[in-house]
Amino acid sequence: MINFFFSEAFKLQHKLRSWLGPLLIMILVLVAFPLSIDISQYDLNKFYFSVIVVSLLMISFLATESIFSEDYEDGSLEQLHLEEKDFYKIILAKILTYVFFIGIPMALIGSIFSFANGVSLVEIPKIFIILSISTLILFNVFAFGSALSINKGSMLGVLASLPLALPAIVLLGRGVRTVQYGGGFFEVSALMAGVALLVTAIMPIIISATLKTHLE
Amino acid sequence: MQLVTANNLGYSINDKRLFHNLSFSLNTGCGLHIKGGNGSGKSTLLRIILGLTSPSKGSIEFSNPDLQVSYLGHKNAIKHYLTPMQNLELIFQSTALQNAIHWLHTLGLKKVQDELTANLSFGQQKKLALIRIFANQTNLIILDEPFVGLDNPARDLLNEFLQKKLASDTSLILTSHIEPNIVCSELVLPDNTND
Repeated sequence: MINFFFSEAFKLQHKLRSWLGPLLIMILVLVAFPLSIDISQYDLNKFYFSVIVVSLLMISFLATESIFSEDYEDGSLEQLHLEEKDFYKIILAKILTYVFFIGIPMALIGSIFSFANGVSLVEIPKIFIILSISTLILFNVFAFGSALSINKGSMLGVLASLPLALPAIVLLGRGVRTVQYGGGFFEVSALMAGVALLVTAIMPIIISATLKTHLE
Repeated sequence: MQLVTANNLGYSINDKRLFHNLSFSLNTGCGLHIKGGNGSGKSTLLRIILGLTSPSKGSIEFSNPDLQVSYLGHKNAIKHYLTPMQNLELIFQSTALQNAIHWLHTLGLKKVQDELTANLSFGQQKKLALIRIFANQTNLIILDEPFVGLDNPARDLLNEFLQKKLASDTSLILTSHIEPNIVCSELVLPDNTND
């Protein structure tokens, strides 16, 4: 498992476009949005979180689009199947690597931008925690979408899995409200962490079956 | 000792029957050259043996369930954005990596070992992919058209390697339109192009 994680990290490290691209796009969206509309700082503070949440959703969507397609197209997936038979560990390692290299930095960027838009410094760790948990859920869901249509352009499957991501977004919205208006942060974040763990445990099994079907 | 046994294998796709009632066995230290025209199902048969594709009919049995298999198919399973050396570091660990680097040099890829794999020629990429076979210690080697793209010295090297492997009790199954210079039995698949 650790070997798979390091292998994925090694690959991602050399694919600058795959991890730096989504992060730069997120920064661009978060910077460009307030500049593109004529609005007071007071009003912006009220709904800037929505921009962070939507950009998190879209960038997660973008970052996972080719998570399996490269290995599928170059034959690496066949080789991994021969070595391991079960893709579970490989998929789990891949998703966790993507979360570590793209998801966590995205959560960090979101936290920094929320600070710049009126959130107090003491609330920043809370924002970082709920954004990080959300990326874990979103990356799992969109990785499934990517696996679903791996041989027909992964974007199609990622789009099809979009409805599955909506409950995560609703939960994230609820978490943001607890940070903004106080009360119940622990309960909501615990619920989100529970959902994230469940999704992380189950989704690789489903993705593994999906990829095996495609290999046939 | 029988290593692989195929019992009445059949495979159909989109109502087209590629082969049916195919039975054969492969002993330890023996080679099997699968022959047939384009579209006769050679690659599919290899994938069935590997367990990557399910047969429509029949079964494949292995005498040892923990059989170590190395395989090279049509896809090279190498990363174009990495250098040959980085590709080897990704595939192999410790002792096997040293062996792989030895093969990299033997195959004449030393001078391009730090260039991007995307910039290598087709033949050089094929040689790099073949290191997966050369440097792995396995009981069974399965190759799909391994000679395509190789120059004569590399072909000779591959023939010599496979012959040595057969002598050391490793079994071999391959498909190739280029006649291999090794002692092995043949299995000819029927031509389906007029079906």
